[in-house]
Amino acid sequence: MNVADSAIKSSRGDRLFMLGVYVFLCIALIVVLYPLLYILSASISSPKLVNAGEMWLLPKGITWDGYTLVFQNSKIWSGYLNTIIYTVLGTALNLAVTLPAAYALSRSDFVGRTLFVIIILVTMFFNGGLVPTYLVVKDLHLINTMGALILPVAVSVWNLIVARTFFQTTIPRELQEAAQIDGCTNLKLFVRVVLPLSFPIIAVMALFYGVGHWNSYLPSLLYLNDDAKYPLQMVLRQILVLQEMTAETTGAAISGDIAKAMNSKAETASLLKYAVIVVSTLPIIAVYPFLQRYFVQGVMIGSVKG
Amino acid sequence: MGSYAKTGKLLLAASVGIGLLAGCASNEKKGAASATVNKEGFPIVSEPLTLTLMAPDTGEQDWKKMKVLDVMAEQSNIKLEFRNAPKDSFDTKKNLVFASGEYPDMFYAAGLTTAEQINYGQQGILIPLEKLIEEYAPNFKKILEENPEVRKSITAPDGHIYALPVIDMSQHWYRNPIWYNGDFLKALNITKLPTTTEELYTYLKRVKTEDPNGNGKADEIPLTASNARDVNLRDVRTWLLGSFGVYEDAIYVDDNKTVHYTPLEEGFKQYLTFMNRLWNEDLLDHESFSQTDEQKKAKIQNNQVAMFSNWNAYMSLGGEPSTDDPMYAPVKSDMVDKPVIAENAGITPGAFAISSTNPSPEASMRWADYLYSYEGSLLFSKGPEGILWKYTDEATRTKEYLPIPDGGTDREKYRSTLTPNYGIPAPTINFDDIDKGLKGDFDMWVMKETQTKLLDQGARPPFPTLFLTSEEQTQINSLTSDLNTYVNQMEAKFITGAEPLSNWDKYTATLKKMGAEKMAKIYQGAYDRWASN
Repeated sequence: MNVADSAIKSSRGDRLFMLGVYVFLCIALIVVLYPLLYILSASISSPKLVNAGEMWLLPKGITWDGYTLVFQNSKIWSGYLNTIIYTVLGTALNLAVTLPAAYALSRSDFVGRTLFVIIILVTMFFNGGLVPTYLVVKDLHLINTMGALILPVAVSVWNLIVARTFFQTTIPRELQEAAQIDGCTNLKLFVRVVLPLSFPIIAVMALFYGVGHWNSYLPSLLYLNDDAKYPLQMVLRQILVLQEMTAETTGAAISGDIAKAMNSKAETASLLKYAVIVVSTLPIIAVYPFLQRYFVQGVMIGSVKG
Repeated sequence: MGSYAKTGKLLLAASVGIGLLAGCASNEKKGAASATVNKEGFPIVSEPLTLTLMAPDTGEQDWKKMKVLDVMAEQSNIKLEFRNAPKDSFDTKKNLVFASGEYPDMFYAAGLTTAEQINYGQQGILIPLEKLIEEYAPNFKKILEENPEVRKSITAPDGHIYALPVIDMSQHWYRNPIWYNGDFLKALNITKLPTTTEELYTYLKRVKTEDPNGNGKADEIPLTASNARDVNLRDVRTWLLGSFGVYEDAIYVDDNKTVHYTPLEEGFKQYLTFMNRLWNEDLLDHESFSQTDEQKKAKIQNNQVAMFSNWNAYMSLGGEPSTDDPMYAPVKSDMVDKPVIAENAGITPGAFAISSTNPSPEASMRWADYLYSYEGSLLFSKGPEGILWKYTDEATRTKEYLPIPDGGTDREKYRSTLTPNYGIPAPTINFDDIDKGLKGDFDMWVMKETQTKLLDQGARPPFPTLFLTSEEQTQINSLTSDLNTYVNQMEAKFITGAEPLSNWDKYTATLKKMGAEKMAKIYQGAYDRWASN
């Protein structure tokens, strides 16, 4: 019972409304929670029962084979390590580029600000497309290097705009002028005054970028040739897609060897896939609650006040 | 070293020239290359050579550690560097590589479509191989001489050969066969398999009503299919369409050399009618259009399904290979005297190609040619002798399997660590001799089933492997995707009854408007060209 409830008796309509809200939230909770629980349960259930649709909420025919296979699979672990490297380095670079740029663009005394903003905004709506981007990456000699996954995505315009709006609206211009009058340089102003006041946006940017790096697979698909450099999502994708391919490939003009190979792959994949999903999403799920506070705050800043 | 570098530069210059002057350039460059490339025997090159190779990677293997490639590198003196892409996204990567201008020296198991071969061949990215075959590929040349239809099928309309094929004359299946669940046959006391569509219907009906799995529940599914990767009913369709006198896949040629567009044929309508009847009486799994392959498999493993398609029955049923589950013998309808049966043409084009930036096309051709010899094909399909197999009598090429090393249980899995030819359409030819002595009882039984139920009943390839000219290809490309989408949708609608069969005329009229007849005409032209060659 909160204060409002005890002070003023809520009307029947109010209570009905609240009931509706709770019912709606419960449904939303179930919708969000069910897939997570399902995957968790499926990862320790016998694949046969999962595929037959007999396992629908709680684990059935419990087996740890999936996890055993995951822990034995060296590709998954090298993928894990690579993903951590890409995420940490990539996010660090993202922050190092986005925050100063956003701050500079937020200053109304920055000469040519509108021009720069326009130029940057244009890239949000028009981009080179897949092949030209590939050619650029190739000509920068980034093909098959880790840099290919980090450098081309060093800044996201969307995040840049969100951060700029934050700086514009949250850090009072007067505060900056005061610092300047005390003899503060622009760099010091940014590092000593602005950044310490901007923790929410830093956290939000880190989360946005970090999740992006963690989940990305397309750049690695396009730019990497060496599977020792594949991130986890790429390994995961290979396991999941290969199993779907069995039906397609065992048709015309395929030898018995291929059919047998595909069949044994599918068997492994059905054991492995849910366990891999759990292992690969767990870190993000674990980090999320701690950053979520800032997440909501940051989004509000960007959208409402902007 | 100095002279090698100079030769390399000459070669480079020559191969760049190929892009511009395909025909003439190859003559000039031969003089430069023959100094280092041996025309026969090993090593292929006297000075070490490194080439890059692009191939689809199925996931678990490590190409750098394959015994077969080590053996090959050692005896040929050619070292390989890999620019592989995962098999599931290989096509995307392949197109990017072609667009990027930085090509691997060789494409291996690349599945280059005929359209890609013409396109990239005429742009000069893939070099013509016929002269190289003449001089540097004795094994492949012999195959072409013995099988003129192979040459016809891999030669582009401009007269060039841009890629070497996979040749497998011992794999006859056009699609996965359908298998009967042997337990159900036994439970229903069936000794003679259905031979007509009516008998088939009766059998399926009995499965539905007489509880052959004996669990007291009416949970039997007479016939099932899956929707994996939009293939829908593909395997089932192939075999049942034959009962109504037409071949599967949009295009086929009849015995009078007339090309037909299958979805327009009367037989297709009869097939839809039959399937619709199975659907209405719940004899065709109602999840056929929505379930995944694994869901289908789960039902089969649960002993609920009477008929299903797969490479071998045990792959769906689980357990050991068993001769108790017979192969489906195509049945006939009232429309025809006997069912038509599709056979695999045995040639898959586009398995191996050489790019214009390759420093030594001659050496590359010799490297590939080895894969078309008995020894090379054996090495790449079974691994080196003494690991998974050994000769019991080398003179007659008879072999036996050795126990799987390191206490493994899965022979295929172990094989995948030895050789790249695992799960990809690699350039090679399959000789009968390769499996001599290695075939088990089950393999022999499957061969016999194939022989008696399909080959002896007059199976033939519905349409030869052939090339379209680039104009034809452009037209076909624009027609196919719309037509396929429409046909797939309508097939499902007709079968499930969402669209009554009385709308057949409307459907054929739409197909004609969309260019179905034009498509048949284009293929007719290509076929006539192929036949007259």
